[in-house]
Amino acid sequence: MKDNKLYQILVFFIIWLVVGLLLGLAFKEQTRIRTAELPSARLPELARAYVQEKRSNAALEEEIRQLRQKINELENAFASGTKQAQVLSQSLQEAKMIAGLLDVEGPGIELILQDSKRKPSGESPELLPELYTIHDYDLLRVVNELRQAGAEAISINGQRIVATTGIRCTGPVVFINDVKMASPFTILAIGDPKTLKGALEMPGGALADLKSVDPKMVQLRVLDKVRIPAYGGSTQFRYVQPAPPQEVKQ
Amino acid sequence: MIAVGLIGLLLGVVIASMALDIPLPEEWAAYLSLAALAGLDTAFGGWRASLEGRFHPDVFVSGFIVNALLAALLAYLGDRIGVDLFLAAVVTLGGRMFLNLSLIRRYYLNQFALRRQRG
Repeated sequence: MKDNKLYQILVFFIIWLVVGLLLGLAFKEQTRIRTAELPSARLPELARAYVQEKRSNAALEEEIRQLRQKINELENAFASGTKQAQVLSQSLQEAKMIAGLLDVEGPGIELILQDSKRKPSGESPELLPELYTIHDYDLLRVVNELRQAGAEAISINGQRIVATTGIRCTGPVVFINDVKMASPFTILAIGDPKTLKGALEMPGGALADLKSVDPKMVQLRVLDKVRIPAYGGSTQFRYVQPAPPQEVKQ
Repeated sequence: MIAVGLIGLLLGVVIASMALDIPLPEEWAAYLSLAALAGLDTAFGGWRASLEGRFHPDVFVSGFIVNALLAALLAYLGDRIGVDLFLAAVVTLGGRMFLNLSLIRRYYLNQFALRRQRG
């Protein structure tokens, strides 16, 4: 009888132990799933990686700047040679200006777009948060409008807009030339200031929607002198190459 | 007897969370939780049975295994045919746990009252 009692207690103990094991495992598993879903659990790690990337980015940018400078020096040395070389050098400078590889200045406008500070009110809440922030399409419309109005150089937050520039929202930030930025966006453009201003302020134009939501999202100024930096990104082509002239069939 | 059970439970949880590091596929997580629930139900059942003096180790062990398997099977089947069958297991096991716990509570209250009468 006593043996039986001991046996009972042993079984009881083992079953509770197994239940405890199962509970513990289930608990751990659920915690693991939850932390795997939430990237915030890995925030410190991400922050470190971010800082590291930023540092190496800065180093690489510095390298680009130095190489550019070297190219300029070489070009200058070249240009101080023959007359022919001077002509070549001049056309090179023009080509670089078109490509956006030179710092440039001239009359133009400064447009600042920023997210509205007003809280969306309760009238039609499902639409509003979208309307109160600046999106890639707002920037694209502005850039397109400026180009149409004859802008010769455009930059957004110091990033020169060139032929290969992409402007795209990724989550809460906008990537321009693969550099991420957020509101406020300072858009500089060189061109005839009146034409540029007029094009942007056209009724129903690029800024009309933003202004109707909150006029404070848009600040437009005409400037006598705007300085726009050169394109700082990579200019390496990986796929494209000059094509041989095509024969014209008569 | 119940003290032994509680010690076992605590020990199990500690071992599972400290020592055991079994990487389980995520799909298994639901089954694991269900099995744990079934186990908990059986454990409470055993507690009640021992209080009532009707504790049979064989019933206890077989109940534990069969309930856990059945719950997992129901969940799996429900997964396959798109019906949340595991809810049936959750409701049944959960309900029974409440029932068992209320009986356990009454038993201890009765004992308490009896002791007061005598004392």
